Amino acid sequence: MGENNIILTIKSLSKYFGALKAVDGVSFEVKKGEILGLIGPNGAGKTTIANLVTGTFSKTSGSVIFEDTDISNLKSYQIARKGLTRTFQIVEPLKGMSVEENVLVGSLYGRDNRNTNMKNSSKRTREIIKLVGLESKKDFLVSDITINDIKKMEFARVIAMDPKILFLDEVMAGLTAKEVEKTSILIKRILKEKDLTIVFIEHIMKAVMGVSDRIIVLHHGKKISEGTPQEVANSSAVIEAYLGKRYAKEVVNNG
Amino acid sequence: MSLQILINSILLGGIYALMGIGFSLQWGISGIINLSYGAMVILGAYISLECFNLFQIDPFVSMIISGAILFVIGAIVYRGLLQPLLAGGIIFTLILTFGVRLIVENIILKVWSPNYRNIRPAYIGSTIQVGDTYIPLTKLIVFFIAAVVIYLTYLFMMKTKTGKGIQAVALDKEGAQAVGIDVEKMYLINFAVGTALAGLTGSLWASVYNFSPHLINSITGKVFIVAVLGGLGNIWGAAVGGLFLGIAEAVGLLLFGAEWQEAVGLGIMVGVLIWRPYGLIGQKFFG
Amino acid sequence: MKLLIENNKKINILLFITLMIVFIFLPFFLSGYWIRVFTTIFMYAVIAQGMNIMYGYMGYLPFGNVMFFGIGAYIAAIGMNRGLPFLAVLPLAALTAIFLSILFGIPVLKIRGHYFAIATIGINGAIMGVVQNTTEITGGAMGTTLPIIDKPPAVTYGYFYFAMLALMIIATLLLYLVINSKLGYGIRSIKANEEAANSMGINTIYHKVTAWAISALFVSIAGALYAYWMSFIGPTEVFSTVVAVKVIVIMLIGGAGTILGPIIGSFIVSMLSEVVWSSFLEYHLGVLGIAMIAILFFAPKGIVGTMDDFIKNRGLRLRKKVSV
Repeated sequence: MGENNIILTIKSLSKYFGALKAVDGVSFEVKKGEILGLIGPNGAGKTTIANLVTGTFSKTSGSVIFEDTDISNLKSYQIARKGLTRTFQIVEPLKGMSVEENVLVGSLYGRDNRNTNMKNSSKRTREIIKLVGLESKKDFLVSDITINDIKKMEFARVIAMDPKILFLDEVMAGLTAKEVEKTSILIKRILKEKDLTIVFIEHIMKAVMGVSDRIIVLHHGKKISEGTPQEVANSSAVIEAYLGKRYAKEVVNNG
Repeated sequence: MSLQILINSILLGGIYALMGIGFSLQWGISGIINLSYGAMVILGAYISLECFNLFQIDPFVSMIISGAILFVIGAIVYRGLLQPLLAGGIIFTLILTFGVRLIVENIILKVWSPNYRNIRPAYIGSTIQVGDTYIPLTKLIVFFIAAVVIYLTYLFMMKTKTGKGIQAVALDKEGAQAVGIDVEKMYLINFAVGTALAGLTGSLWASVYNFSPHLINSITGKVFIVAVLGGLGNIWGAAVGGLFLGIAEAVGLLLFGAEWQEAVGLGIMVGVLIWRPYGLIGQKFFG
Repeated sequence: MKLLIENNKKINILLFITLMIVFIFLPFFLSGYWIRVFTTIFMYAVIAQGMNIMYGYMGYLPFGNVMFFGIGAYIAAIGMNRGLPFLAVLPLAALTAIFLSILFGIPVLKIRGHYFAIATIGINGAIMGVVQNTTEITGGAMGTTLPIIDKPPAVTYGYFYFAMLALMIIATLLLYLVINSKLGYGIRSIKANEEAANSMGINTIYHKVTAWAISALFVSIAGALYAYWMSFIGPTEVFSTVVAVKVIVIMLIGGAGTILGPIIGSFIVSMLSEVVWSSFLEYHLGVLGIAMIAILFFAPKGIVGTMDDFIKNRGLRLRKKVSV
């Protein structure tokens, strides 16, 4: 563990797709046990950062350091085994397998050094499925459940992997206000129970404000603001990014 | 390697190139691995055999007949068998085209017997001498015809409305549909052109080499290699791939001996699949 | 019926045990010819189980998987011709095949889809070429003989019948154990969603190679047994594309991704082959071709799937009659 309980450090991380700078020199730290919100308009680079950190994309430059180890060049399965994983914005279920089997795979694999076997993994799987409220659908094939249930299942799957740090990629998309609240409570509960750190990617400001300890704002691949939800909400750079220069000036002029 | 061997291998490569293009178009554009392709080539050879024996038609003329007949056969096979089952994927395609191969092979065995045959027009045996090198006239003519047909195929694909339609479908099926191209018709013509090229090549083969159903396996192997080397669906790629194979076989012959050609060719194919799956040329469609 | 067979463990186990009991007592009622036919059925079931783990459960189609059959056959032949007893060449054949599956697997299993299928048939062809040309060791294109067993034919046929049956039972049980283990879930995840599998911590290269090694194990032992049984093998026979296609047809008919599918499929396809071979001498190739194509049109979901549809349709008609 690094000093100040930093679990993840991202240093000048960049990803260029030809001339397109999806992520451009982004740096930040994630503290152990916190919920860090990662927000920004569509196309800001939030999911790309998740892809870079988890090894799905290879970086153009910069580094990612997880618990004092440079994971920048590791493969995604190696990173997952170290305890860093994510949910997918566009769901990636294990097709042809049931809800229970999907979560079981997460439990069997996932983080290393947990002595997982079929017996104890099956048990954990059932507990986690209960926790997220999918018990009635556990034997359904993923092709036979709604997309929101698939998202719940993916959430259960990553929890079953027992990660140390988890990137949640737009888990609130498509939920009603009530469901958003329920999910927020669930996330906070799991954070405590499982000794987790969460990086919470969202593009709806409201959803993430109530849950996060700190927020980082991205725009056009660059970090434009960092601080508590309060500080960020009042930052002119952020307002400008979301609403445009004209409106930002109006907000400032009108107090 | 002496000039003689080099020239021989290039001449052979020309046939391989023409052969491979048909197969490459079918695999690259329709995604159909046509295991009956080798049988179609040999069928073309036998068609020319009959034209020669019955009507004394020169194989360089009867190749048009072979091409036409195989075009029709290809269209029927595609429309009647392949198109209805496209949803079945690679498993269905392999079983189906292998079934067609067995049927064609049986017909050839029954009608013509497994014995090796050949066509011997009057001018066979004449050679052209260039310095120390002797080039068999027929092989030279075959090479030039192959080159011309390859060029015509290229023109067809690039300049004609149908050819451009096929290209469009290959690049973006939905987009092509959106602009009103009859996608199924394009696939059909593409496949039929492929078998036509097979038949045509068979006639050319027959004019210089012996042939029998025994060759079906090795010819099928060769078109696989040419298609992979050149990149699926890539006409010039297959042309280069064919020449490359001709030369590689000659080199293999020199270094290891005649019987190793097949293994060497297949080994190169596997190597390309591992390291350069888009072929030696490196582009996906129409060079 | 499909649901019944696919999801109901008890029915599957019952079916399996019933079949095995039948097979154990069958040879006492059959002529030598039919004993040989069933030995072939068991052999193809094993080869198909080898394909099953790769394609049915992992989603990778090793079209050229027959290469391990040929390797098993030739290692047995080469070993026994140098004086080794059969029980010694058996593990040798298996280990050679496993070694090659790892050696080729690491580069080749990175390839996907069509390309992987064709790469494997390319390797098969290349190995066949190597065998055809190393005449001093392998006997070359002419083939090679193996030591003949000094016992009456009836006894010999009996031995190989039970040996192949045992191999089929062991392969099927082993597959069942693997598929329901942690390894098996890793393998199945690759078919389900390879990218997601990677992100969950599954080392996909390891799993792919391991699956192929298990496949090589089954298929090579079948090859070794075949060689000893036939006492004579040739390269085009044991590295045959026809065998490769036959296994694919078996998978289609029996159903890929099920434990018993390969056994059922092998039974049906072998019986079909028998009928065609004995009824059409000069046209057996063509008729076989027509039969293969007909299967695709009339029974594309395999035997279980088609019966399932049939049952569903009949049920619907019955209901309509009652309501009228």
